[in-house]
Order: sequence, then C-alpha cells, then structure tokens
Amino acid sequence: MSLLPHLVNGLALGLLFALLALGFMLILGLMEQINLAHGSLFALGAYFSFAIATPRLPLPPDLLHAWAAVPLGWRFTAAIFLAPVLVAPFGVVIERLMRRTYGRDPLYGLLLTFGAAMVIEDLIRIVWGTRDYMLPVPRGISGGFLMLDLIWSTYRFWAAGFAVIAMAVVWLVIERTRFGALVKAGAHDSEIVQALGHDLEKLRVWVFVLGTMMAAIAGVILAPIWGIRPHMGVDAVIPAFVIIVLGGVGSFWGAVLGGLLVGMVVGLSGAYASEWSMLSMYLLLILVVTFRARGLFGKKSVLEA
Amino acid sequence: MRSGHRVPTLTPAMIAIWAAFATVPLWIEHIGLYQYLGVEILIFATYALAYNLVLGHSGLPSFGHGAFFGLGAYGFGLAQFHLVADLWFCLGAAVAAAALGGAIVAAFISHRRGIYYSLLTIAFGQVFWFIAIKSHAITGGEDGLLKIARLPARLGVVSFDLTHNISLFYFVLAVFVAVSLLLWRLVHSPFGRVLKAIKQNETRARFVGYDVWRYKAAVLVLSAGLSGLAGGLFAMAQSSAFPDVMSLHYSGYIVMMTLVGGGLVTFWGPVLGAIVFLLARDVIGAFTTGWMLWFGMLFVALVVYRPEGLGGLFLRPARAKPAAAK
Repeated sequence: MSLLPHLVNGLALGLLFALLALGFMLILGLMEQINLAHGSLFALGAYFSFAIATPRLPLPPDLLHAWAAVPLGWRFTAAIFLAPVLVAPFGVVIERLMRRTYGRDPLYGLLLTFGAAMVIEDLIRIVWGTRDYMLPVPRGISGGFLMLDLIWSTYRFWAAGFAVIAMAVVWLVIERTRFGALVKAGAHDSEIVQALGHDLEKLRVWVFVLGTMMAAIAGVILAPIWGIRPHMGVDAVIPAFVIIVLGGVGSFWGAVLGGLLVGMVVGLSGAYASEWSMLSMYLLLILVVTFRARGLFGKKSVLEA
Repeated sequence: MRSGHRVPTLTPAMIAIWAAFATVPLWIEHIGLYQYLGVEILIFATYALAYNLVLGHSGLPSFGHGAFFGLGAYGFGLAQFHLVADLWFCLGAAVAAAALGGAIVAAFISHRRGIYYSLLTIAFGQVFWFIAIKSHAITGGEDGLLKIARLPARLGVVSFDLTHNISLFYFVLAVFVAVSLLLWRLVHSPFGRVLKAIKQNETRARFVGYDVWRYKAAVLVLSAGLSGLAGGLFAMAQSSAFPDVMSLHYSGYIVMMTLVGGGLVTFWGPVLGAIVFLLARDVIGAFTTGWMLWFGMLFVALVVYRPEGLGGLFLRPARAKPAAAK
C-alpha cells in the first residue's frame, strides 16, 4: 500500500483541523481565556447552516418555498455567510458573562464555558432532536475525481482550500490591521492600552465575536464531512484544544502546524489501525508536551500561573 | 497555619450528616422519589469528596476524573468476572485499577499546575475513555460490561445480601462514612497542611523545602483510588459499567457538583453538590428532557456571581471565607 494517498489525506485533514482550532486559538491567544464552548459554537454553526441550506427555517410557507427553489449552490453559499452571523450573538452573551471572571483564575473561564457548552448542547437537542443530519453539498464540489488511480473526495479538497483562505484572512486581521495590533497590545498590557484611550472592553467583544464566527464557519465547512449531531461540539472542542496545546498557546503558526501534525498523525494511523486513529493525537500531545512543556511554539502565558 | 489548633476527628456536623443520610430510606419514597436515587447520591457524594481532594484542597483542577471513576467500575466488573467474585476483593481491585491509572497520569503531569493541569487531565481522560470504547473484547465497547452482580458483603461468619436497594444503600453509607472520615483526617493532617500550602503558593512551598512533585503525585493517586472505589460501587449499583462515565461530560459533571456545592470553601460542599445535581436531574428532568439546559445556566450563574458555590452562601454570614474547608 502506497503511503502517498494517506499523506495527502492527512494534509487535507490537517488543514481542516487547523481551521477548527482557529477560533479557539484566537480567544485563547488574544484574551487568555479557554473557550470550552468553542465546540458548541461550532455545532451551532453546523445546525444553522443545515437550517439555511436544506431549508428548514421558521419562515412563512411562501417565502420558504421560494427559498427552496433557489439552487443549492446559492443556499450553501448563503449558509457559509449567514450561519456565523447567527451564531455570533451566542458568543456575545458568553463574553458578557465571562467578563466578570477576567483577572481571576483562568479556571473560572474554563468552568463557565463548560457550563455554556452544556447549555448549548441541550438547546440543540431541544430544537433539533437527537438524530443525525447531513448537510448536502452543491453538485459542483461534491462527488469525487480520479488521480493516481485513486478516487478522491472533491469536497475535502475544496474544504481544505477554504481552510487555507480562512487562515490567511485571520492572519491578516491579527498581523496587518490596527485592530489586530490593538488587541495584541491589550493582551500584553491592558492598562497601557486603556490609558491610551482605547476601549478594551469593546475590543474584547470583537475578538470573541471573531473567534465565535470562526468556530461557526468551521462548523459549516466540516458539517458535510463529519455529519451533524448534538455531541459534535464536544467531539470538536477536544481536537481544537489538543492542537493549540501542541502548537503552543498564543502562537498562530503553532496552531497551523499543530493542526497539520494532528491531521497527519490521524490520517497515517488511520491507514493502519482506523479504529484507533483518534487516540494517536492524544499520544502525540502527551509525547510533545512531556518534552516541550509549552508545546512547539508556546510562550509563557497566564495559564501557567 | 493554625498550628496548635487541633481539629477533632468527629464533629457535630459530620455526625449530623451521617445520621441524616441514615434516615433517607425511611422517607425518600414518601416524597415521590425512589430508593435507588439515595444510593446514587451517596456514591456521587463519595466520588465528589474524593475529587475535591485535588480541586478544593490542593488547587489542582483535574478535568479528567471520570477516567478514574470508570477504571474503578471496570476494575470491579472485570475482577468479578475473571478473578474472584468476592465483594472486598473486587472493591480492592477497583481502587487498585484507578490508583494505577492515577499513578500513570501523575507521572506525566505532576510538575504542571493551573490550566495546563486541566488540559492534560482532559487529554488523559480522553485516552482512557477511548481505550474503554475501543477494547470491545475486554470492556464490551460502547455497550459496556453487563450483568455485574451485587455481591454479598461477607464479614466473617455473617454475610449481608446487597441485592436490594435499601441494603445496598446502607452498605454505601458505610463506605461513605469511612471515606469522609479518612479524608477529613487527611486534610487536617500535616500532609493536608502541605497540600494547602501548595494550593496557596506552589513556588513558596517548594522553597520551604517540600518535594511538591511527590505531594501532587500522591494526592492524585489517592484521589483517583477513592474515585475508583466510588466507581466500583457504581458498577455494583448499576449492575454494569459503561464508558460514558469516563467521557468529558461526566468528568465535567463531577467538577460541577463539587463547585456548585461549594467544594472550594467547605469540606462538605461536594456532598451538597452531589445532592443538588442528582435531585435537579430528576426533578427538572421530570418536566423537560433538557434538564442540563437549566442546570447549566444555574452553574454558569454560580461561576459568575458566586464561585464559592451554595456551601459558600450558608457559610458567608457566619465565618470568613478561608475558615471551613482547610
């Protein structure tokens, strides 16, 4: 059996994992808060996109019929843009509550978001039930193609490409805009930034909203691959945190590399022992963190206090 | 440090709590609940007390304790099936399995603290959970180990049958009494004082000359072992062992119970938390399937407004915060 297909699949999977971890990384890196609700926001993104694309919206019947007549390609595109906007208010509420834990032990943020994750998960169960759904993919990017005598999933490659674009956008926002500079400065020394007359509270809300929307976008993009079910949130938040701890807290490239490594390891171990492939990422994490306490590119952070 | 201030082995509060539990089977059915709930509450109260040894008393926020509870449950079941079907032996196996798991985890993470401690315990918890799900041949996979017997408690010539919920309740109560007494003594011993010092300032504790790593490892092993004991009892109560209890959800639930009850500020907080959690599950669950929606909101509100938990509400007027738990 040739190794190449597994490497390519691992790479594609790694890009998707990096996309999944991106929002988690933003909030942790720029606000020093662990957002355990990240996975639930991811799940909400998937559910909202499902509601928009299939379409199952609480709209008047005429309007719904008209929307259902629109080609799936448009509905899918609308889902990618609209679902994150619909999920954003959940992030705002969590940030509001979290505000009271700033300056306290970061454990409280973790506990709070765990509670929020439980609430959102049950909310999903109440609204959509416990069954699985599948988000349909427009015909242009569904199906498969032949390469090297193997069949490849078109959507996976399309999604991986989308992940690269999303990462580039986030990188530009953090590294090349005034907003990014202010937020990073605020994480570094909040007093100076406030003394200079910037509204740090507002900045934090925007960071959280950005992180929330990234989670939701990841949810939309990954929904056709992983499926939509109530506990998908918990299934997603754990790889996200594994990737961040592996890559090093607060490092953008650490998150990307962490995602790629996890994708590779899961992809390759999946080739030989598919049952156990998800275990490999924890073993990788434990191995790396045993020798490099702060992960690959980690800096000292408040989390070690 | 309150040197010279001796803490009595038995306190009125302790005896009152034990006595109150002892009356539960007499009235629990009259208020519309059922005997098995009492058993479950006592098991989770024992588990929460054991968990609070790391969270409340040592300041180590483990988020993967479900693994130890689950190891105890599987240890109990597997010992019964493959070794000796004796209650004491199987409970011993439950403790040993969980303590061994705790020792493995401790070896990797005892130099960590704070959030990194949480994150790594999550990772280890997932490893154990994953192994439990995938080892079909040993653990029964997602179906779990079924048909675990409620073994009789043999004490020399007499033997107590524990197949009924009421007799099981009193057996679990005896274990709860023993565990709470042990933990009470432990946290007020010199060992407990060192844990408290580590909680307050690890670096300082190290500079004073304590081998912090050993204390942190020891307390995790101990807490894991006692959590495993609770897990063994749970396997017996449920007549089965499932991988679910090892999941991140369940590991989070025990943190919720401990925190909601006020484990950070009082010794008995986790017990209160276990009662509130399981009652909420049954009472709210009777009205809606999404009980965690409401309990989760209560939990979030507590974290935001009253991180010292329900126990803290009662203590608040009487004593200043640091007094009770330590």
